[in-house]
Amino acid sequence: MRPCSREMQGMNSLLNPSSQIPLQDLQNQQIQNSHFDPNLSSNEDFLEQMLSSCSWADPKSPWDLNPPTNLPFPTNNSSSSAKHRDLFNETPSSNSDSNNVGFRNNFDESVILASKLRQHQISCGNGAAASDAAKMMLPQQLLMAVARGGLSLNDDIDGSLSQGGDGSIQGLFNGFGAGSMSGTDGASNQSMQQHFNHPQGGAMQSPNLGAQGAPATTAVMNQPQASGSNGGSPAQPRQRVRARRGQATDPHSIAERLRRERIAERMKALQELVPNANKTDKASMLDEIIDYVKFLQLQVKVLSMSRLGGAAAVAPLVADMSSEAGGDCIQANDNGGSLARTTNGNQTASTNDNSLTVTEHQVAKMMEEDMGTAMQYLQGKGLCLMPISLATAISTATCHNRTSGIINSHAPMHQSNGEGPTSPSMSVLTVQSMTMGNGGGDGVAKDAASVSKP
Amino acid sequence: MASKHTIATRHAQGIRARFASRFLRSLLRLRRSSNRFGGSQSNDEGIGKRIRTDRIKIAAYAAMARAVGPRRTWSRALLFKLRNRARIHGVSRKRCLVSEKKRITRNKVVATSSEPSRADTLRKLVPGGDSMDTCVLLEETAHYIKCLATQVTVMQSIADRLLL
Repeated sequence: MRPCSREMQGMNSLLNPSSQIPLQDLQNQQIQNSHFDPNLSSNEDFLEQMLSSCSWADPKSPWDLNPPTNLPFPTNNSSSSAKHRDLFNETPSSNSDSNNVGFRNNFDESVILASKLRQHQISCGNGAAASDAAKMMLPQQLLMAVARGGLSLNDDIDGSLSQGGDGSIQGLFNGFGAGSMSGTDGASNQSMQQHFNHPQGGAMQSPNLGAQGAPATTAVMNQPQASGSNGGSPAQPRQRVRARRGQATDPHSIAERLRRERIAERMKALQELVPNANKTDKASMLDEIIDYVKFLQLQVKVLSMSRLGGAAAVAPLVADMSSEAGGDCIQANDNGGSLARTTNGNQTASTNDNSLTVTEHQVAKMMEEDMGTAMQYLQGKGLCLMPISLATAISTATCHNRTSGIINSHAPMHQSNGEGPTSPSMSVLTVQSMTMGNGGGDGVAKDAASVSKP
Repeated sequence: MASKHTIATRHAQGIRARFASRFLRSLLRLRRSSNRFGGSQSNDEGIGKRIRTDRIKIAAYAAMARAVGPRRTWSRALLFKLRNRARIHGVSRKRCLVSEKKRITRNKVVATSSEPSRADTLRKLVPGGDSMDTCVLLEETAHYIKCLATQVTVMQSIADRLLL
């Protein structure tokens, strides 16, 4: 990597005063000095050649020869680079803003360099694959340096690319590797451009396309051995890159893939928030989410009912919650009758039957009009409404313990005694019809409610 | 993503405190206004209680929306709806600049004639969900759920304190 760092330093020193001329000169000189030593055997020599041909050792000359111009870079290019440029301009980019365009121009130059290097590789003759690969590495490092230098040209682009810069360079790198490895047909130049467009366009959106580029590279590198076109994008006049297995390089499908990944990501985040999120199916997960949102909104509504009366000693919170939850299903099955039946069934002991039945009728009547008042009436009497299952469980429990057993199954749930400590025989049992913040126990609320007084 | 989750929980602490303070203030305001109009009035009729319930619920949502601020789409939509409601009911509020752009740029998702898909149901639940595509909708839902949960815990603890 040493040569790479050297070049980078050189490039940076050259290119820091934000102008595109050094690269331009570089390219021009490369075009002129196209006679490379074909007898290269080692990487270092090749690098030396590149460096000498580009005359990077002399930083002053580019600036003396060419006064700074503000012309856009493509106008000075040769025809081949114009061809590349056209390819670039035709590439659809979802986030097309000025940053992208500038970015693309910089890549323009580096891509042209890459093409030149590739041609050089071809002209050198194909040696062993290993040495070729080794030779590829260097020019690609060069290109990385060039790209980095090109990136530093425009300061405003730098800021936007600070995140994606590395990823895009990676994509560049991999794109070049893929392009240069994929055969030696004349059109592979353009194929490299295309393949490289896509990582570049993708890198605009997310840096991890660079990571995708790596498997693409390996997949493409396997192609000469596999000797087949993977994923079947047919050879079109625009020379599309062969798709890797199971994926397409179509920009639309890439966008689709990104969208799906984003949605999957968000679903995972939602899974952590929503309880009972062990569903793997997206549809059932959505159902769960919908139910949870409805549940939370209902809780807010219920809690807002509990603020009535302020600092009164009653526990409207409890009653209202059970009323909200159980009230619906009580009303669903035939109001007063079922209630009376259930209460009759659940009375374990009653000192005064008459008063109880009167109370029940009263409560039943009030429930028809307003659950809140009904519950407050009950609370005033020191009674509460609870689901039947809970009532049976509690009654069996309190059979052994006749003193006031106050059950507090949930910390925020508050117990309250309507009568206070003066009547220990009467126990007020707090009901948890809807768990507050637990998220479970919804099934409890579905049972019919009952009034019980041990 | 673990990092997003930790950031979200840290954010929740701030939301909880802000929501709690706003909500308590609005509760005090409500109680003062109700005391002015006669304390025993609400105990007699069920309708008065319902109105008070609604007021408290609206106060809770407004406090939550303001605590979140205009950062989120759903909070903006909620604030907008509340201001509209206030305007309709003739309650005088402070004139705030409401960005109407949200309404204008709403691109309603084309409703297919089939039964409402789950995404549509979710859109109805989350405030301002009509003008979001699925991806954004899921994100907003996550934040909305988090805020609703904090709202519930805060209101619950307030209720407990009041009862003590």
